Amino acid sequence: MNVAIDVNAREDVPAWLAYGTPVFTVLAALAVSAVALQLLDVNPLAAYATMFVETLTTEFGLTETLVKAVPLILTGLAVYLPLKAGLFNIGAEGQLIAGALAGTWVGLNVSLPGLALVPLMFAAAAVAGAVWAGIPAWLRAKWDVNEIITSLLLTFVALEIQSYLLRGPMQGGTGNFPQSARFSDAATIPELASGVHAGLLVAVAMVVVTYVMMNKTRLGFEITFVGSNHEAAQQAGMSRFKVYLLVFVVGGAFAAMGGISEIAGAQGRYRAAFEPGYGFTAIPIALLGRNSAIKVLLAGLFFAVLFVGGSSMEVAFGVPAALVEIIQALVILFLITAEFFKNYRVSLDFDRGPSGAAVEPQGGDD
Amino acid sequence: MSENTTLRMEGILKEFPGVVANDHVDLSVERGEIHGLLGENGAGKSTLMKILYGLYSQDAGDVYFQGERLDLDSPQDAIDAGIGMVHQHFMLIPRLTVAENVVLGEREPATVFRDDAGEESWLPASIRNNGLVQSLAGTFSLGLDVPEQRIQELADRYGFDIDVSAKIWELDVGQQQRVEILKALYRDVDLLILDEPTAVLTPTEAERLFESLERLTDEGLSIIFITHKLKEVDAVVDRVTVLREGKNVGTAEVSSVTRADLAEMMVGREVLFEIDREAVDLGEPVLRASGVSAEDDRGIEALSGVDLTVRQGEVVGIAGVSGNGQKELAEVMAGIRDPTAGELVVSGTDITGAKPKRFVENGVSFVPEDRLRYGCAKDLSVMHNATMKDFDGAAFGDRGFLDYGKLEDYAETLVDEFDVRGVRDVTETDAGDLSGGNLQKLILAREIYRNPDLLVANQPTRGVDVGAIEFIRETLLEQRKEGTGIILLSEDLDEIFDLSDRILVVYEGEFVHETTPAEADRERIGLEMTGGSGDESASDPTASPAEVTQESES
Repeated sequence: MNVAIDVNAREDVPAWLAYGTPVFTVLAALAVSAVALQLLDVNPLAAYATMFVETLTTEFGLTETLVKAVPLILTGLAVYLPLKAGLFNIGAEGQLIAGALAGTWVGLNVSLPGLALVPLMFAAAAVAGAVWAGIPAWLRAKWDVNEIITSLLLTFVALEIQSYLLRGPMQGGTGNFPQSARFSDAATIPELASGVHAGLLVAVAMVVVTYVMMNKTRLGFEITFVGSNHEAAQQAGMSRFKVYLLVFVVGGAFAAMGGISEIAGAQGRYRAAFEPGYGFTAIPIALLGRNSAIKVLLAGLFFAVLFVGGSSMEVAFGVPAALVEIIQALVILFLITAEFFKNYRVSLDFDRGPSGAAVEPQGGDD
Repeated sequence: MSENTTLRMEGILKEFPGVVANDHVDLSVERGEIHGLLGENGAGKSTLMKILYGLYSQDAGDVYFQGERLDLDSPQDAIDAGIGMVHQHFMLIPRLTVAENVVLGEREPATVFRDDAGEESWLPASIRNNGLVQSLAGTFSLGLDVPEQRIQELADRYGFDIDVSAKIWELDVGQQQRVEILKALYRDVDLLILDEPTAVLTPTEAERLFESLERLTDEGLSIIFITHKLKEVDAVVDRVTVLREGKNVGTAEVSSVTRADLAEMMVGREVLFEIDREAVDLGEPVLRASGVSAEDDRGIEALSGVDLTVRQGEVVGIAGVSGNGQKELAEVMAGIRDPTAGELVVSGTDITGAKPKRFVENGVSFVPEDRLRYGCAKDLSVMHNATMKDFDGAAFGDRGFLDYGKLEDYAETLVDEFDVRGVRDVTETDAGDLSGGNLQKLILAREIYRNPDLLVANQPTRGVDVGAIEFIRETLLEQRKEGTGIILLSEDLDEIFDLSDRILVVYEGEFVHETTPAEADRERIGLEMTGGSGDESASDPTASPAEVTQESES
């Protein structure tokens, strides 16, 4: 039998498809994960009810989700912004750590009233994150050194420095754990409502800043242009150097704010293993939200639900942590695949006459 | 239909979303003829040929070749049936030899297994010729010792002057194209499709190609020659089929139609070939470049101390064979390549070595040769592309903020005034969705609407259809009345002659000849372009109204 697959770009994406895709794909990913749950003798429906319904309806679930969303949104922006300029910031994790360390140092060693100390901590963190991101950016802008590799490797440098500081100069508290001393009240980010700290406001503010920058300013125009074709952009008088440096530095500052928010808002002290790789989760967040800063916000919230719901399910059903990660990974894979189906129409034909796979839409007829 | 017909395409229909690329097209080609396929960009020529070569499948219609109906699912099917294609962009591997490139994809088994290996193989012929052994060897062994001799014979037979053991990177473009043709011939094709073969060639190389083609048809090959240059139709084609908007508007014997007829068939209206050039008074110099040298991307000197002065309202045409420093010259003048020596003064300001932004601010506009690489961002909207040089201006917002509504209005103005077609919505349509001609119009619009002092236009009409060429040339002439000085770099001598006030010939990074269209001698220019005169004193400096340096050869 002769089977032909035709893949054609869609002219217009129907509205039901554009808005329905995320819903369908999440459902599809959950359906596949259900098989694994069933094999572990867990009722998938009950498990999912815990994972989503409980998370989104209980006060505890919502609070946790919003708290987790803060670093996810901020690191998401740290990847999103360079992505707009055509660069991959794989090192948001390192920038987050660098910022958290610098902010923590200020929080522990400077004594000021809370209204001044917390902003100072954020500023110190932002500077450290900016510097940490500035290194790969400068290397890329000046010498064309691949930013993917340098930003990633600098993450490991940051991790080693963290581990040295927490076992040495910054070690504090009782016992000999790799952690800092507790923050004073002045150094703790105040709560907005029960359990939700004001870092959420910072995250939302940064989303707004990024949105305005990308959509309302000349700088955003330049970033978009350099990201699309930097050679044409240079010909038009734009500076690739400036754009590359700027998106990374600003991105690094965002990631760093995410780090200090988590420490000074949620944790109360710097522990060596204080976070589950927000800076890496930021990559799928930025990819899903690559069309707009608002979508980064939504993607960040969604991943926060997955994190929080995943651990509730783990506790309630004794499901291995690995399975929770599998569910999260499946959701990401399905979402990314769905992007393709949203933009292309695929049709299967059986036993047609003369046929082949016409993959390209009409190119320029030169 | 005569018995001599070798290819018949009947009622070919191919639709892409929103476009009918081929609307029931018929085409028949006779044995031993060169059949021209003429049409504007987007007329459906390439689509039709891609169907014939198995790259696309048609939605309706049939292809008959040498009496049989063909089902083409891939280029391999087409080649097996005896149809070969030479693409506009060569598909050669520079580091391999001619022979290796020719056999590429047509894998030869290792020598020991080859049925014509004779004494070279230690395997007895009986085993070697066994069908099973042959098919296993064909699949699992690889003969790197290339049958050079066979290929050399083939080349000699058709008068191709090529050393088959040379590496591809050592060959010039014309020779590389002959290698592409050899690739097809080696596969025993009876029909050869050439997709705009002269687009990359110099006039002399094109002449040689035409001779080779005649030779091929004498041997009984049929050739389909895709082009949008009417001159070439006259030069080599026997019969011509014209496509317009996906439809066949007619097939004719070339001897029985005039160029004007063909142009009208192509465009659907009358086309002017003669452009009225009103005299314009030349003003102050807008560009004074002296002793400018520059290196190419590999760091080799490509421009050796040239002097160039362009005055208000003057078009300086720069003729030359591609790769003689034109690209570097254009880029230096437009500010995107730093000169290694010399100085540039634009409208009285010395901006040697300044950033591209200063050139833009000083009224320098640039139409780059490579539209998609330097001229636009193809994944961004028409609006982004129309405003990429002006978005920074005060007209589009306060300080750092940008008023996108105004950008949109500006882009719409350009699209309307410069007749850029295929734009549904300036914010929705991407630059890459426009056809070559319309994209070029958009780029030209952007560069001209800012009323520049100096416009550097490198190959402004290359790969653009007849209708757009006419428009672009008229626009350039119109703009010179506004006092813009224009540097026009083109490999099309007719264009240089039609538009220029002054002609400079560039050869190996130096100006070797200067003349005016009125006094110019085409043969002389052709000779100078290829370094053929060799006699520096032969050039005539008295013909020059402005300064030009005759560099002595070092």
